[in-house]
Amino acid sequence: MAEVVLKNLTKRWGDFIGVDNQSLHINDQEFLVLLGPSGCGKTTTMRMIAGLEDPTDGEIWIGDRMVNDDLPKDRDVAMVFQNYGLYPHMTIFENIAYPLRVRGTPKSEIAPRVEKAAEQVELTQFLNRKPKALSGGQRQRVALARAIVRTPRVFLMDEPLSNLDAKLRVTMRAELKHLSRALQITTVYVTHDQIEAMTLADRVAVMKHGVIQQLGTPDEIYNDPANLFVAGFIGSPAMNLINGSVQNGMFVTTGGTRLVPLATGDRERAVLGVRADDMHVHEQGQGDIDVTIYAFENTGESTLLTVQWGKQRVIARGDRHLRKEQDDVVGISLNADHLYLFDPDTEERIRI
Amino acid sequence: MTGKQKKQLWGAVQVALILIAIFVMLVPIIWIFLAAFKTHVDVYQLKLFFTPTLQNFGTVFDDPYRLGDKLFNSTIVALVTVVIAIPIATLAAYSFSRFTLTGETTMLVIILATQFVPAVVIILPFFVMFRDIGLLDTRLGLILVNLAIVMPFAIWMIKGFIDGIPMDTEEAAMVDGSSRLQVIRNIVLPMAAPGLLTAGIFCFIIAWNEFLFALILTNKNAVTLPIGLALFKGEEGDLWNLLSAAGIIIMAPMFVLALLIRKYFVQGMTMGAVR
Repeated sequence: MAEVVLKNLTKRWGDFIGVDNQSLHINDQEFLVLLGPSGCGKTTTMRMIAGLEDPTDGEIWIGDRMVNDDLPKDRDVAMVFQNYGLYPHMTIFENIAYPLRVRGTPKSEIAPRVEKAAEQVELTQFLNRKPKALSGGQRQRVALARAIVRTPRVFLMDEPLSNLDAKLRVTMRAELKHLSRALQITTVYVTHDQIEAMTLADRVAVMKHGVIQQLGTPDEIYNDPANLFVAGFIGSPAMNLINGSVQNGMFVTTGGTRLVPLATGDRERAVLGVRADDMHVHEQGQGDIDVTIYAFENTGESTLLTVQWGKQRVIARGDRHLRKEQDDVVGISLNADHLYLFDPDTEERIRI
Repeated sequence: MTGKQKKQLWGAVQVALILIAIFVMLVPIIWIFLAAFKTHVDVYQLKLFFTPTLQNFGTVFDDPYRLGDKLFNSTIVALVTVVIAIPIATLAAYSFSRFTLTGETTMLVIILATQFVPAVVIILPFFVMFRDIGLLDTRLGLILVNLAIVMPFAIWMIKGFIDGIPMDTEEAAMVDGSSRLQVIRNIVLPMAAPGLLTAGIFCFIIAWNEFLFALILTNKNAVTLPIGLALFKGEEGDLWNLLSAAGIIIMAPMFVLALLIRKYFVQGMTMGAVR
């Protein structure tokens, strides 16, 4: 068990910058999620921690040791790969036993430890099969068991759930969370799925173009986004971002609609962020503004109304019993306590 | 004619064409097969029915032909060539497949280009060099030449197989605690085994059938089977019956190997070719 510290870490391929001078302190036993769209440098960061990629610049510390020049095998980390990286020519037992075998663990110790790991991921009856004979979810478990059969200092997980179907992903997510709480080992988890990030993480680092945009607890990331990118990336549906300006303490949309009072100075250009849940749906004429429904979606647990708002479309979440039709007109009001203002040029948050 | 009849007719035509093609390809082999069991006199008559004799197979191993020596030479040369070529080619192929090397493409092209050089062009330099360092008419000399012939082929073929092994698997093994050599031994070799086997058998066949270099570079001690065939020219003309018996001895291992690799043959060829 150990903390992981990245100091001014950079990875470049020629002119392309994968990770740009990033520093990060991951606490002992912390579950840290690197979140971002593909190509944002999150996987590269993880691969550098694992030793599968050499940093161009900067330092990687695991515990009290700088591991830049250590081979992957000497870093004492365990990794779960997106495609599982199982050994197809070995049985499940041999797969799980491999990290022990290759590190010279006595034979008598291997069997009980493999069985314990297999038990933790409920694989005991499959130990004699080959990976080919298992389903995706089961293969994922083998990869997990192979990681937990040792007690590494750090777990690294590279989009471990992304190859599973939606239903299985939810189950495995819960199992992962349970397991990580039980094992209490420092974990770095890479994903592009913000729900995985929100549910699993102690802290989330949102990345874009090789730069960490915001580092914080899931709560902070969701409720207090640092910039436009984080605001737009976190949440499902994504936060509505409305272009406009601030005039005399009112936010005015580009179309000229005076929307909500904001306690901030005048700005020629501004972006107002508001989550679907903070847009309340009323009957026509009873909200702050009347809008036409572009699409009405019933997800079962709630309804989503995409409404045409001048030239933009925004999404509001309605009660699950609400029933509307396309082209109906409804009233919308905004929850003034949960509005975010951004500068469209710097993309930074403007604190109100 | 109805559509069904047309289909049947076309099917019959196809079968006939295939049979003709097979016949054309097999005629020499059938002829050799028959001749090997005929007496010297029978050979000159195109008899399909005759009293078969195994005498030829005995004669070729006796003095003065001593085909056994040639068989031994061929076996040693081909086997040792494979045993040396495959490990070296595997390591080279692995490096080409997994590492970023300076001038990687150039090297690969050069390796391939050596295959395009006509053997006749380089046979004289080989002869002169071997004469100077005393490798003429030795099995070692032939093994070296055969290595030069099969290596490029083996490297390209094995590289195709290794390219097909997912990087994830190897990286998982490295994080799990393996050194690079352990990765190769525990992961890459078992996973590439069918490919290595196929490449090995191909190399064996090439070395076994190699004629030109053996013809020029050997004359007595290291003579291989294909060259040995030339022995069967006697005062009484070409000894076709003995020649055929020797031919069958040369072909037999090839048929066995072909049966063995049938399963991997197509896979091996396409993997090497497509990537």
